Amino acid sequence: MRNAILVAGREYGENARTKGFWVNLLLFPVLLVVSVKLPEFLQEKAKPVRNYVLVDQSGEFEAAVAKGMQRLHGLKTAAALMKHAQRHADPEKVAAQKSVDWTQLPADQMGEFNLSGDLAEQMRQQAEQNPMLAAVLADPANLAPFEAMLRLQMKPDAPAFAPPRQDYQRVALPPGVDASLASAELARALKPYLSGDEMPGTDRGLFALVILPPDAGLKLKRPTDATAATQDSGHGADGVQFWSANLTDKELEEEIQDALNSEVRRREYRQRGVDHRTVEEVQRTQIQFAAFDPSKAEGEERVSLADTLRKWAPVGFVYLLFVAIFNTVVMLLNNTVEEKSNRIIEVLVSSATPGEIMMGKLMGIAGVGLTMLAAWVLSLIGVLLYFAGPSADWPGQLLDVIQTSGLLPLFIFYFVCGYLMYAGIFLAVGSLCNTVKEAQNFVGSAIVLLMVPLFTMVFIAQEPNGTLATVMSWIPIYTPFTMMNRAAADPPLFDLVGTGILMAVTALLMLWGSGKIFRMGILRTGQPPKFLELLRAIRTPDRLQ
Amino acid sequence: MSDAEPAVVLDGVTKKYGDFTAVSEVNLVVPRGSIYGFLGPNGAGKTTTIRMILDIVKPTQGRISVLGADSALKVRDRIGYLPEEKGLYKKMKSWAIIAYFARLKGLDAKTAKTRAFALLEKYGLKDFTNARCETLSKGMGQKVQVLASIAHEPEFVILDEPFSGLDPANQQVMESVVRDMRARGTTVIFSTHVMSHAERMCDRILLIAKAKKIFDGTIPEAKKLIPRRVRVGGQTVATLQRLPGVVGVTALSAAGEAPRWDLTLADGADPHELLRRCFRDGLELDSFELYEPTLHDVFLQLVGEGAKVASFR
Repeated sequence: MRNAILVAGREYGENARTKGFWVNLLLFPVLLVVSVKLPEFLQEKAKPVRNYVLVDQSGEFEAAVAKGMQRLHGLKTAAALMKHAQRHADPEKVAAQKSVDWTQLPADQMGEFNLSGDLAEQMRQQAEQNPMLAAVLADPANLAPFEAMLRLQMKPDAPAFAPPRQDYQRVALPPGVDASLASAELARALKPYLSGDEMPGTDRGLFALVILPPDAGLKLKRPTDATAATQDSGHGADGVQFWSANLTDKELEEEIQDALNSEVRRREYRQRGVDHRTVEEVQRTQIQFAAFDPSKAEGEERVSLADTLRKWAPVGFVYLLFVAIFNTVVMLLNNTVEEKSNRIIEVLVSSATPGEIMMGKLMGIAGVGLTMLAAWVLSLIGVLLYFAGPSADWPGQLLDVIQTSGLLPLFIFYFVCGYLMYAGIFLAVGSLCNTVKEAQNFVGSAIVLLMVPLFTMVFIAQEPNGTLATVMSWIPIYTPFTMMNRAAADPPLFDLVGTGILMAVTALLMLWGSGKIFRMGILRTGQPPKFLELLRAIRTPDRLQ
Repeated sequence: MSDAEPAVVLDGVTKKYGDFTAVSEVNLVVPRGSIYGFLGPNGAGKTTTIRMILDIVKPTQGRISVLGADSALKVRDRIGYLPEEKGLYKKMKSWAIIAYFARLKGLDAKTAKTRAFALLEKYGLKDFTNARCETLSKGMGQKVQVLASIAHEPEFVILDEPFSGLDPANQQVMESVVRDMRARGTTVIFSTHVMSHAERMCDRILLIAKAKKIFDGTIPEAKKLIPRRVRVGGQTVATLQRLPGVVGVTALSAAGEAPRWDLTLADGADPHELLRRCFRDGLELDSFELYEPTLHDVFLQLVGEGAKVASFR
């Protein structure tokens, strides 16, 4: 046992000193921080201000588009404001407030509200449904009273809210281009700017060109004249044209289209004698709707963000489990092959029994794996704690899920069992390979088998107690991943205990068999044995020598 | 266990791998405190014999006792071993690897570290104490490995080809390592195919070829095995061949030079008798040289053609 501990200590020391180990250790929290921060950053910084040119030859829609763009900016401001409020919220003050449904409030009657739930998203949705709110928020001058209200629930030292910048900037046509040119010629004149040339008076190219021809207001598609739409030669050359070299960012295109459609519809209402206010009121009428989860306690059945996270958090853990197990067993394989190829193994064998060596290696590398896991879990919790506001955005919810779901102990359990099982296989293989190259051939095929749980993990998360999940759970080499996958969905006790026992027994059998192979393999040179030879060898240990 | 008890006893030891016999019916007694050389051509079975002594490989037949135990594994802390193919953990520092193997042999951490530093200094590697093994040259790495195998001051050390790959200076260092061990009373077995090392250092040798023991005993005993030789100057082949006890005459000189001959004597023939006879018969000799065979001659003579065949296997 003393020797096993010495071997373990050396293995641990050697692997814990490698660069890869530290990269693994440090990369994880960095990725976490990035995954929290990056979307925000991209939203705020990475996307440049986009220039667009709007040529309204009809003279009818300019105001409507401007209003639409204002609404878009209002929505973004609303979301940013709520996020700001949430980040600096004072939990006690928040708890004292009651929740209000803004969708049903006129803009000037926004009284008490509550900073709980995913308010940023809620605010965005509500502002979308209440155009007045969006319009009000789009003007920085109007922000002060909102911020003052929100401040009632924020910590006293919260910084002032900095409204987001305008993402889209309308610019004038370059000098010398006549606004009354035909669409095709306008497009031709602006093409260089659309493909990157700097627009006069700005420091960047043109993101989009929107052309509303003189008769834009008359080119309408209606359900009643479907034939007319099909006759329209396919590309709508006569209608509104949106030119842009960027095919992925559809925000501006959609917003302008929406704004034009609303304006056209508003006119239609008027023409047909319908009061558009009535229509708007009707449109804002909603049925009360909520999703419920039958597995939860009475009174708490509403599906919340936490529930969604609870469902998907195991997927993250499956992934971590995969990375941890695969990393560690490959270390084990490489070390064994190294010792074998440079014959250190002979010195080891003359100093300790193969059993001690194997146990030492298993323990040492398990220690490396557990250190890695501990570091990941601690940094995960650390990062979540840092980002989690007192209220319920996703880091806080995820933290709560991790604390209450019992995923962590299961994670450790499945890591240990999975590790022992795969370590058995990889150690045995390592002891039979003479060179790293031979070992890599094996890893190549083994990884295909090991990847299966990664392919299935999304399906299993969606149907955690379905046939696929159940079948995979009972295949011992997939048990750790599959059961981890299902952990949050209260799998039947029979599955949980049964697969656990089957897996533990398999792990022990694997270790027993690989112990025998290891004992013979480590001193063997030349061609790796054939599979049948191995089976025979497990039964009669002297065969390989 | 008395001091008289041999360090190693091999009793009818045979090792077969399937149909191939690596070692056949070897008997051997290695006395305590002796320096024992295992000699033989490549593929003769030296390494297999060594592995069997260490109980890394089980013999197919026969019994082995090491330091009084029926398996070297039971007394492994008292044994040191340097394998034939040398290798070290690339990322470990010299001192750490020596200390690690010493600790596996039962030393405590502090003693192991002290010994590692002392050994590295003693054998000229002080500057490389903290060097990672991957940065060492082959010879230095090999020295580190030798030190790692003896840092626990074992009673019995097996070195498989300790001299191979070392430059002459390092071979000297290696010889001094072995001599230092002899001075401490350590039993040493080393295998080599460099006869001069064996001749200089060994008390006894084991000669194996084609899996079979050909000889074991002291070096003088080994030299007696082959016919003695005499080198003479002058005279002709015909005259020399007629002399009693001479069974072969080989020319040492080229045509046109003063003639010199190598005479092979029959078993038991006395070279002094030969010299007296020449005197009596009035045969004039330019020189008469009693020529002591080297271990190299013994090796070539005993292993003969077999060596060449075996080495190309």
